[in-house]
This record gives sequence, C-alpha cells and structure tokens, in this order.
Amino acid sequence: MQTSSSTQTIEENELDPRSKLCIVFALSSVAVFVQKIWLLALILMLGMVLTYLLGENLHLFKRFGRIIWLFVGIAVIQSIFTPEGIPLIAIGKIRLLTVGGLEKGVCFLLRIMAIIVPASIMISTGTREIIQGLVQWKVPYEIAFMVSLAIRFLPLLSEEIKDTFIAIQLRGIELDKIPLGKRLRMYSYLFMPVLSGVILKARELSTAMETRAFRAFPRRTSYRVLKLQNQDYLVMGMSLCFVIVVLTINFYYKGGF
Amino acid sequence: MLGYSDKQQAFIEVNKIAYTYPQGTQVILDMTTKFYPQQFTAIVGSNGSGKTTLGKLLAGIFKPTSGQVLIAGKLSTRLKLGEIGQKVGYLFQEPERQIFAPSVREEIGFVLNFRGVSEREIAEKVAKMLNLFHLAELKDEYPFRLSRGEKQRLALAAILVNEPIFLILDEPTTGLDLHRREELSQILQELKLQGLGLVVISHDEDFVNANADRVLEISGGEIIADQQLHPNDRGE
Repeated sequence: MQTSSSTQTIEENELDPRSKLCIVFALSSVAVFVQKIWLLALILMLGMVLTYLLGENLHLFKRFGRIIWLFVGIAVIQSIFTPEGIPLIAIGKIRLLTVGGLEKGVCFLLRIMAIIVPASIMISTGTREIIQGLVQWKVPYEIAFMVSLAIRFLPLLSEEIKDTFIAIQLRGIELDKIPLGKRLRMYSYLFMPVLSGVILKARELSTAMETRAFRAFPRRTSYRVLKLQNQDYLVMGMSLCFVIVVLTINFYYKGGF
Repeated sequence: MLGYSDKQQAFIEVNKIAYTYPQGTQVILDMTTKFYPQQFTAIVGSNGSGKTTLGKLLAGIFKPTSGQVLIAGKLSTRLKLGEIGQKVGYLFQEPERQIFAPSVREEIGFVLNFRGVSEREIAEKVAKMLNLFHLAELKDEYPFRLSRGEKQRLALAAILVNEPIFLILDEPTTGLDLHRREELSQILQELKLQGLGLVVISHDEDFVNANADRVLEISGGEIIADQQLHPNDRGE
C-alpha cells in the first residue's frame, strides 16, 4: 500500500531516474536518425558533457580506443563497395580509401559512440530505482523487472565469457598458433556454456520468484515512490526540445557535412 | 622447506606477491612460497581469505600486482595462458564454466581435437577417461544436463586427458558424495605417485586430512600456517 509516510524521494538535487532515461532516450534516438557528421559530433560532445556533469565516469569512452581498427576496417569496406568521392588510396582501379568511405567510417564511429556514451548516465542509478521509474511510467511491472534483470546479469555474463575463454586456453590451446578456421570454430564453443548458464539461471530464478509469490496478486504496491521535482520537468522538457531541434536541423538544413 | 628441500626443484615459485583487484580490493599481501612436483598441497582458509585468487595467480590467470610467480622457472607475466595450460591443469570452482562441447565424449576429446591428435588416439584416451571417472554411460549425454558431481568429474577428466604435470583444483569435492570423494582421493594419489604436483583449494577438512602432504592456511591474504603432514598424521 502506498502511504505518504512510506513515500521516499531520491536525494535532493539528484535527478529522478526518469529524467536520466529521458536524456538517454533523447540523445540515443536522435543519433540513430542524424546523418550529418558535425551534428553527430555535437550530440556526442553533449552526451559526454552531460555524462561528466551527472558525475559518471567516462571509462566507457576510453574503451573505444580498442575498436579503432573496426572503424578503419569499415571506412575501407565502405570505400571499396560504395566508392564515392575523391580516392585517397587506390591500387590500380580498386579504390581502397575514398573521401566518401572515410566520411561513412567517421559517421559510423560517431553514431555508435553517441548511442553508447549517454547510456553510462544510468550506470550509477540503482536497478530498483529504474524499475520504479518505469513502473510509475505505467510500464507493466513484469517488463520493468525483466529490464532490471538484464541490467543486473550483463556483468555476470561478461564474467562468464571471460572465464570460459580462459578455461579454453588453459587446456593448452595457444590461440595465435592455431589456423584461422579452427580458431573460428573454437570461438563458437564460447557460447555453449554461456547459453546454458543463462538458461539454468533463468530456470532457477523463475522458481525462486514463484516461491516468493511473484505475480500472486494483480496489483503491486511499493515502499519506494519517486516524485518528480521542478528540475526533472525542466530536463524532460529540454530533452524533448533537443530532439525536435536536432531532427529539424537534420532534415531541413541543406548545408554540407 | 618443510620436508621438500631446495635440492628438489619447485614447479611453481611465489616471490613476495601482492594482488589487488581492478576495483581496488587488495586480496593477497606479500606472499612467498614454493610448490613442488609429487606434493599434494591443500590451501585452506575462511571465505574471502584469498584462496581462489591465489589459485588463479598460481595458474597465471591473474598476474600479480607486485612480486613474481614463476611457473616451471618462467615468469607468469611472460607466459601465455595456452603455454601454461600445456603444463598446468586448472579446475574452476564452477565446473559449468569449463565445459564447452555438446556431448560428454566430445568434451573430453576437445583439446586433443584442436591439437591434431589422430581420431584413433583420441578415442582411446577418451574411453580411458570415461572409465576412470565412471562417465561411460553418459558419454553421449548433453553435459549441461549432468548433475553437479558429474560435471565436476567431467571437467576433471577433460583436464587430465591433456596430461598436465601440475594440477590446481578449486573445491574439487563440491557436489561429490562420500563414495565419489574416495574415488577422487585415489585418482589424485595415483597422479601424485606418477609425479604430478597438486594444489587443492578446499573447505573439506576430511578430504584435506586424508590426502594432503602439506597444508597452507591463509587468512586476510597472508600465509598464517604452513604445515607438513606426515603419513602418520593422516592415520596411514
């Protein structure tokens, strides 16, 4: 039962998880539609500034250094298959790198970063608060609970994949010394324990939930209730304005880049 | 060195190692010890004392934050896991994480397949392991349908088929009944007689007392006792 005495609000000056979700949705969704490089760069910068201002670590951003070769590869593939613009590197008639390919490579990298970086805004928000925020947005509890489970189990999954990878190598397999074909076949083995682990955990979790009377009653009450403050309305309003402005610029501004 | 003089070459040497997890928790503080072939060392201690972390440092899975771990005379930091795995077998606390193949038989032959061993030799070695670990009836079974104890035996069989010269086992008796525990004891003692060195991380006091030559007790990331057990201590 919800009573005023049991109502708790999150700490003052801290944004409601729903406001944070609005920022993430706004930044990530416009990054999907925007085609202009400068606009994507602007969205990414805004995402980074907001992530920093909201007290989150930008470690996710640092990880992109590791996939820089993926970006180079995509630029090359784009150049070969959609050879637009001035060729920068070419072997005979084959264009290995063109201005168009490079633009598309940069665009891809910026888009991925602009989608992922804002997501780190949610890292320090407790899963319980995220569920509560979604439930108060009238998202069915079952779906909100599934979202929270996904968030909770992602780090465990990555740990399991790492352990399995270590276990394979500890059987005396030197990955750099086996042929590519066998190496690819070996990677397929990684998913077996992870998939079975997920199924086993899901089965155990569902039993545990049943024993704790999950969905036994049609309506759930909550001890913790979130309350939107003025700053939250402001953030949500600004997020909406941001989406409208960016999409308008993207579709109606005919300037270059 | 507790009955194992320096005349005998240590297989794993640990010199003043410390280990801190990336999150900042320091688990191992200034540890120095040696592990020998043909020696059954049990590592005991309460939960969170650093037993599993030490085991992973010995197997080269973790690299020490400071100090050195030498495996067969080589620095663990300079060895790839694949190279270590050719000499050291490591049993994880959760056997599911080291089972990859879609059948018990394939799981045991997994590594031999990748090493280009002939089909006939693989079949022979797999059959030997299936019999040794009483898994013959389950040879075509999907490994993830096995019980915890069966998975534990399968993981061990898959490690031993690789013929390691040193074994590190993290809680190998979990999920095994008394009978299977005794069988495991026999197998480990046989392996020791064949010259293998063993490090067993365990909470199972009876198993440790029945098998260990040496008991290393750790607490708060430090060795607080290093005790040599003689056959008489084990009632032999």
